[in-house]
Amino acid sequence: MDEGYRILEHPADMGIEACGPDLNSAFKQAALGLISIIVDPASVDPREQRVVTLQGTDSENLLVKWLSEILYLYDGEDFVTSTITIKKLAATELEAVLAGEAVDGNKHRLRMDVKAITYHQLRVEERHDGCVVSVFLDI
Amino acid sequence: MTRLQQLDDYRYLIPKSFREGMNVEGLIFASSELIKAIENDLTLMQVANVATLPGLVGRSLAMPDAHQGYGFAIGGVAAADIHKGVVSAGGVGFDINCGVRLLRSGFHLNEVRPKLDALLNQMFRDIPCGTGKKGIVGGLSHEELDRVLERGAHWAVENGYGSAEDLQHIEEGGKIPNADPNKVSRRAKERGRDQLGTLGSGNHFVEIQFVSEVFDEEAAKAFGLFTDQIVVLIHTGSRGLGHQVCTDYLEIMQDAMREYKITIVDRQLACVPIQSPEGQSYLQAMASAANFAFANRQMITHWTRQAFGRIFGSGDLKVVYDVCHNIAKEETHRVGGSSRKVLVHRKGATRAFPKHRPEIPPDYDAVGQPVLIPGSMGTCSYVLVGTEKAMDETFGSSCHGAGRAMSRHAAKKQITAEQLLHDLKEKGIHVRGASKSGLTEENPDAYKDVSLVVEVVHNAGIARKVAKLVPIGVIKG
Repeated sequence: MDEGYRILEHPADMGIEACGPDLNSAFKQAALGLISIIVDPASVDPREQRVVTLQGTDSENLLVKWLSEILYLYDGEDFVTSTITIKKLAATELEAVLAGEAVDGNKHRLRMDVKAITYHQLRVEERHDGCVVSVFLDI
Repeated sequence: MTRLQQLDDYRYLIPKSFREGMNVEGLIFASSELIKAIENDLTLMQVANVATLPGLVGRSLAMPDAHQGYGFAIGGVAAADIHKGVVSAGGVGFDINCGVRLLRSGFHLNEVRPKLDALLNQMFRDIPCGTGKKGIVGGLSHEELDRVLERGAHWAVENGYGSAEDLQHIEEGGKIPNADPNKVSRRAKERGRDQLGTLGSGNHFVEIQFVSEVFDEEAAKAFGLFTDQIVVLIHTGSRGLGHQVCTDYLEIMQDAMREYKITIVDRQLACVPIQSPEGQSYLQAMASAANFAFANRQMITHWTRQAFGRIFGSGDLKVVYDVCHNIAKEETHRVGGSSRKVLVHRKGATRAFPKHRPEIPPDYDAVGQPVLIPGSMGTCSYVLVGTEKAMDETFGSSCHGAGRAMSRHAAKKQITAEQLLHDLKEKGIHVRGASKSGLTEENPDAYKDVSLVVEVVHNAGIARKVAKLVPIGVIKG
């Protein structure tokens, strides 16, 4: 299955469906989808790195925590991510390195505020040909 | 599966046979036209899902502006027994105490119209709005932020934003008393520290409006409203701080639920017993976030007054009222003939208490609590007043707005920002927006007609129309 993401519609808000040959790439694509909703990714340079280590109760919970982490780094620590390397991903554990830089309103083309990552119709599906995940965001 | 049953022109019952596990029935307030939109998405199922939560009393309710949300439908109301019931972070939602505040001026429409552009420019400069905008330069220290969380709008008044008189006309007096900043995570505080005093983006706005019609002279007089009067409506919430509080407690509640042997049908409905340590912590954190939102609207009020002062020489704007749209409140209601303490979750709904209730300000005692209903951008808004019938049927609750009818993507495809601005200007409405894309997403056609929603609550008797407000100027995030 090819890597990628698409934006899903919801009457009030929006979602992301992401896929890839494995869980690792689907999680990475979901994160890139989230970043593309917040900012034009082409306007962000990978100047600094942040290491993320997370634990979840299952892969769906881990997906919400993973995207919530990227959102927090943006909204709480003014760090906007451009490139992602997932070092380790098991059903309940994730380690990743995010590269990006401090938010700069003059440089970065900011698009939209995302309030939160929801559990609404959350899906992590591992199939024989790859992995598909979907998640809805509160805007 | 048993379908929806129409009870009368404005009430539709969801029987317990609608889905497995419903502990109470569901009830939707809608007209034959609005129920079609409600049936079109997941609203009915979400109202039925809420009805499966333990310890609910009465019915799981949805207001006529209801639409699909997360866990709870937006426009949902559910009351849980204070001793046996649960509290759900998703039942309040991410934007804790998202709400509206109405200010009234002494100006007539014809006095403001000629200087409208200057006023909007001043307000757009003074009120931080839009994606990524910061409030107080450098952000608040954590110690000071804790005081905001404890004291809400009182903190704002003590720091020069408005006057003590304002506080009397805010739900809960602008400060929910059981707030405990220690129950709010450091992460939530980091998100909120530099966002206090910002409007945000999405559907948040400040509108300059005029009173176009008065339906109830007595209530309008009590609220200080008259025809052609200029008023200002502020719509915003607790920003990133509230969003993070909800995110944090969804996790805490999911983990704790196992211990309390609670099973739910949708993870977004995660809940814990109200009297459990986790339930009490959530309510203390929620109160803190709600206080942040009260302070936020108080600061935006102050800057609005300053802008009026600069342009017109007088910034004497009085607070008519300030209501929460997303909140859980401990209240006493009559249920099945007896008086019971319940926790009322209002997820996109407004408290609508009638006259002679101790919770409402003395000067409104003879008429009831103002209920503020913002419409979509550039349409109209309403002031209603609470009723006894709302106490009987909806735990003293009513609708909160127009309710979205179209996705953001579909709304954007409908019209360009230039065309939208042009169309609004033709209608005499001037707009200042931080983002073109944000404007088109809030295209009025993306929403239900707020007048239809208000007709339902008025005719069903769960609030009564007082005045209609029509915008002339809009500030959008």
